[in-house]
Amino acid sequence: MLIDEGLASILANAILVLLLIIMFDYTFGWLERKTIAKAQFRHGPTYLGPFGFLQNIADVIKLIAKENIVPSNADKLIFSVLPPLFLSFFIFLVYLLPFSNSIGISLSLGLLAVFVLLSFSPLIVFLIGIASGNKFSAISAQRSVIMLLGYEIPLILSIAGVVLYAGSFNIATIVNDQRSAYFIFLMPIAFAVFFISMLAELERPPFDLREADSELIAGWLVDVGAPYYALALFVDYTRMFLGSLLISLLFLGGWLGPSILPPLIWLMIKAFVVAFIIVIIRATTVRMRLDKLLSFGWFWLLPLSVVSIILTFLLFVR
Amino acid sequence: MLTKINVGPIHPSTHGVLRLVVTLDGDTIVNVEPHIGFLHRGVEKLVENRMYMQSESYMEKVDYAAPMAYSDLYVSAVEEAMGVHIKERAKYVRLILLELQRIASHLLWLGTFCNDLGQMFTMFMWTMKDRDLVMNLLQDATGSRMFYVNMRVGGVSMDLPPDFEEHAKSLLDYLEKRIKDYEAFLEKNPVFIERTKGVGVLSRKDAINLGVTGPVLRASGVNFDVRSAYTYYAYEKLNFMPQIQVKGDVFARYKVRILEMKESIRLIRDALKEMPEGDALGMPIKLISPPIKEKEVIVRRELPRGEGMMYMVTDKQKPYRLSIRAPAFINLSALNHMAQGAKYADLFAILGSLDLVMADVDR
Repeated sequence: MLIDEGLASILANAILVLLLIIMFDYTFGWLERKTIAKAQFRHGPTYLGPFGFLQNIADVIKLIAKENIVPSNADKLIFSVLPPLFLSFFIFLVYLLPFSNSIGISLSLGLLAVFVLLSFSPLIVFLIGIASGNKFSAISAQRSVIMLLGYEIPLILSIAGVVLYAGSFNIATIVNDQRSAYFIFLMPIAFAVFFISMLAELERPPFDLREADSELIAGWLVDVGAPYYALALFVDYTRMFLGSLLISLLFLGGWLGPSILPPLIWLMIKAFVVAFIIVIIRATTVRMRLDKLLSFGWFWLLPLSVVSIILTFLLFVR
Repeated sequence: MLTKINVGPIHPSTHGVLRLVVTLDGDTIVNVEPHIGFLHRGVEKLVENRMYMQSESYMEKVDYAAPMAYSDLYVSAVEEAMGVHIKERAKYVRLILLELQRIASHLLWLGTFCNDLGQMFTMFMWTMKDRDLVMNLLQDATGSRMFYVNMRVGGVSMDLPPDFEEHAKSLLDYLEKRIKDYEAFLEKNPVFIERTKGVGVLSRKDAINLGVTGPVLRASGVNFDVRSAYTYYAYEKLNFMPQIQVKGDVFARYKVRILEMKESIRLIRDALKEMPEGDALGMPIKLISPPIKEKEVIVRRELPRGEGMMYMVTDKQKPYRLSIRAPAFINLSALNHMAQGAKYADLFAILGSLDLVMADVDR
């Protein structure tokens, strides 16, 4: 069978993006362990490979080789189907993003699609938490849905300014609109709100209320077995990739940069820098409380995002 | 609808084997019921079957985060019973070592407290590193790193080494800087302030009624510290000042411990300056036997966790009965009062602020 040119390029794109996801997941997993270790006067992984770079492979093999235990209290169908689905969900979301003018797909409503789908992720966490039949997981599931009320609206509103300025939901157009100035300089308030809400979306400290190791042991992951825990790690890292990509695409100019490096490399560098900053935040801050997060969302993030939209409209659009 | 949830005995934030049965109304705590006894070893009974100075090492394991404070408490009870006076230099040596032990204990507490608040292990590793330096110094002075067993009737097992003063001074300078850093690091973090201020308030009246002692009591504005109220060793000569906060919340308890570390640093510095020359060695262990003078003795000492009291009925070779008032046990009994009405996440902030060692609670 002959493969025509369009299909070949789609396939090449798909494989490239998958490779990027795997590359980021793996490198970020190692980078996070190393960075946190450095912050805590530890060495982190050192034995396998240079600077312990291969340690994560060993860990994943160990986790996947173990028996997958489904607790007797659990809703077996939901509990065994959803974790793999959750991972594929985030991989699918990454596929909706363009990686440069030629790599990845550029949808005319791409931004809208990403955020509509992204707002389902707390609900999936809710389902896994409830289905596992553990009380800690149930509390984590409740928190997941309550948190949604706190940060989801500011998250959407903060990108409204970006859409207003660019006049399009197409992420490629939004990136190309930043040729004169990155949106982080034009709308710093929107960037701050977006970054903070994204931390909550990514389940990163100080908003890691769903996982809350010191309170809920592991939150919605309390009862998952080892193979699913490995999947959950991939979910975490893929989600991190999605989040840092979105931050760098919408506010940091995406693949734009001096032409010494190809556009894709610029995007990856920006994504890694954003991810690194998020890891540093993880190493230093204590966890927020649920009710404080809600009041913070409603009394600070929401008004600030509205102010940002009004300012963007008055300054740039009108 | 009320939910009952079982926290522990295996849980990241219960500091060992504490089991809490928490009744929740939504996210609000209605009742907390501590279940203890998982680490009960019957230390009080064990002591009855051993000669006086054989029990000292048992006593140290009662509180593994501040072992020397407990061995001092026990040896003081034996001294009281025998009517032995402590040598003048030994008073200073003990004070220095005990205050170093207090700093080590509070540093460990600071790390675990930040763990409870959700800053997984960053502060813990930092304070553990500093605590390790303190333990190295204590090793120089006593011969062992964790369980010292260096208190002897009338003095200590060995005098301070000749280079101790120099090492101690440089360590204290370093610790002072580090503690200042920790203070800035935590108190400039708005999330930390939000998590601690106004949480788990224990009023002055309730604190007295519930019998809590130590930093928990002083954080509620009560000026009571055994070191000044029933002064011993050289605390009076060194003008010891109890550290007090008035708010009675988690932040106040944190602040009291930070201030206590600073006060300990000052005390050690002054003690090193004013320490008299002479002999600090105690009696050899073999000589500890009758004549025991008193039949019943009670001693009280300020341990890092609060007021420790030891009641001993003496007999010829061995104590007839020994009873310990463990500060952590009584502080734990105030948990339900403090946690009622708080949010579930606050339970661990409050629990962390009590500075529990489960071996101390269960004995």
